Amino acid sequence: MSDTATRPLPVGHYTYDQVDHDFLRARVEQFRDQVARRISGELSEDEFKPLRLMNGLYHQLHAYMLRVAVPYGTMDARQVRMLAHIARTYDRDYGHFTTRQNIQFNWIRLEDTPEILEQLASVEMHAIQTSGNCIRNVTSDEFAGAAADELVDPRVHAEILRQWSTLHPEFTFLPRKFKIAISGSPHDRVAARFHDIGVVAKPGPDGAVRFEVFVGGGMGRTPIVGVRIHDHLPEEDLLAYLEAILRVYNAYGRRDNIYKARIKILVQALGLDAFREKVEAEFAAMDRARYRLTPETVAAIRARFGTPDLIAPADAPAKLAADRAANPHFDRWARTNTHPHRAPGFICVAVSVKPAGGIPGDATSHQIDALADIAERFSFDELRVTHMQNIVFGHVRQDELLALWHALGEAGLATPNLGLIGDIIACPGLDYCALANARSIPIAQKISARFADPTLQEQIGRIHVNISGCINACGHHHAGHIGILGVDKKGEEFFQITLGGSAEDDAAIGQIIGPALPEDATVDAVARLIETYLTLRQEGERFLDTYRRLGQAPFKDSVYATA
Amino acid sequence: MDVRSNRREQGGSSAITANRLLDGRTVWLGAHGWSEQIAEARVIANTDIEAAIEDARARAAADSVMAIYGVQLLPDTATPEPLTMRERIRAFGPSVHPAFAISPQEGQRHE
Repeated sequence: MSDTATRPLPVGHYTYDQVDHDFLRARVEQFRDQVARRISGELSEDEFKPLRLMNGLYHQLHAYMLRVAVPYGTMDARQVRMLAHIARTYDRDYGHFTTRQNIQFNWIRLEDTPEILEQLASVEMHAIQTSGNCIRNVTSDEFAGAAADELVDPRVHAEILRQWSTLHPEFTFLPRKFKIAISGSPHDRVAARFHDIGVVAKPGPDGAVRFEVFVGGGMGRTPIVGVRIHDHLPEEDLLAYLEAILRVYNAYGRRDNIYKARIKILVQALGLDAFREKVEAEFAAMDRARYRLTPETVAAIRARFGTPDLIAPADAPAKLAADRAANPHFDRWARTNTHPHRAPGFICVAVSVKPAGGIPGDATSHQIDALADIAERFSFDELRVTHMQNIVFGHVRQDELLALWHALGEAGLATPNLGLIGDIIACPGLDYCALANARSIPIAQKISARFADPTLQEQIGRIHVNISGCINACGHHHAGHIGILGVDKKGEEFFQITLGGSAEDDAAIGQIIGPALPEDATVDAVARLIETYLTLRQEGERFLDTYRRLGQAPFKDSVYATA
Repeated sequence: MDVRSNRREQGGSSAITANRLLDGRTVWLGAHGWSEQIAEARVIANTDIEAAIEDARARAAADSVMAIYGVQLLPDTATPEPLTMRERIRAFGPSVHPAFAISPQEGQRHE
């Protein structure tokens, strides 16, 4: 029996039923048998590789790496503590939060993996579909269900997409991997236009949920901003329409060339109108009744989500204001690391996992446990992993924010740099990844150390620095206001700089400004780019705004005139 | 694992590397079998390396290793050191976690 009968429904995510538990248990036993056969030699590595990848187990530079799925990034404290336990017991005491809102463990032993998956299953977690040419973990807005600007809480529909896509028999062997993000806010915090499918939920004229659907976005070798294929998809057709898109992709997507296999290439090759025609034809031919997402189904899924009791003392805002006035360090952190909540007296908290000079997204088991404790104490037992490799507590009482900040500080997690130059996205790079050409982490560490001064960071203002160790672009360098791409030149690392990218509503692909530079020269170049911006910016301009107003020339000159 | 870094320089030498099946760790073929320490790796002339790799691959299952390939070494070092950054990281550990590094001098993994 599951323990859901004896504990309240967790806030923010779906609670497994018995079918879910039985499925996961069977899956773990299946993988246990596959691992045993690999160790005995019955299975070769070529035979075993697709089986382990279907369970999130990669082999990287130094060891096996296990990527654990965090559906729409949301976990309860019990699940978070399990991740800390895995880091402590089976890894080298670290977990690494990823841009897919997942967590990776870099030092896993093959023979431990079935036991790890069994323990994950006990807290309703797994590593399925974190690899392979299937629909990957569905991501969502880190402030879902909490943000003041949100129109529709996207997590129920994220869960519906998760269930629809899990082991979908038609879509287990797609031409290439497939990533879906869903948001319910007019402010894009999920990079919807850089996904194979990006879904934005919004209320229709009649109040019913409608979806704006983007298709064919992506980064990697061929970065493309996705295009809108539907503006007002009714809720009842969500699954049918996405199924139709996937069927067209599955039928026409290229399988002869891995570099041209993503849906973005197909959409570009056919053109949006022709692609849409094929989708509409498939959609029209489908048995729509079978795929219809009924209000009853949505309600049944919603009923398996816990909801927070958002009642705060009337003086909570006044208490927060007084706390901020009394403590400038707390005030600075509250200024940079919080987001407006929809409920009076509450606030959303974004925790930076990017200490000055640290490794973006890395957390020790002690820190992961501390995050679980804080979630339990301050945020209805719930936290979210963000695609910026940070952590969000969705629902924090304003009068308790100071105490939360102290608790974060004790765990080394109170860095005040959200959305600033220290908040760098970086992939694991050549220090861990078998695909990488160059290291990403050291250059991130050097940049964040160079700009460690929080006052300077605030003066520079909002900026995204994104670093990838190869053209697969796991560090989303194409979408960085400043993007850095590691390249290999005869075994040596060099770094190419791009400017002007954005993953938000003004989505754009950064443009290369010149020849690649060695690591330290790249850090110096970033410093000169910032100096140039600070010199040339007008009132209220972000780095990206100044770049767009002036173009590449002054920035390029600043980098190469003295390089 | 993606097997790369198989550059061969005429007149140079290489070592043979693999990953252990059970824990995935990087190992190097030495005189007495596979070792985590590149300091113990056999240095093989590039003229002979392909045959040596084939021999090692033939024993892979028995040795419980996988992804066997040759790694070009730097010339004139006291102990074997790979030429490329990628292979140096495989040999000596991630550059960003000193606690996880394997010292090229001592040939010891620091836990």
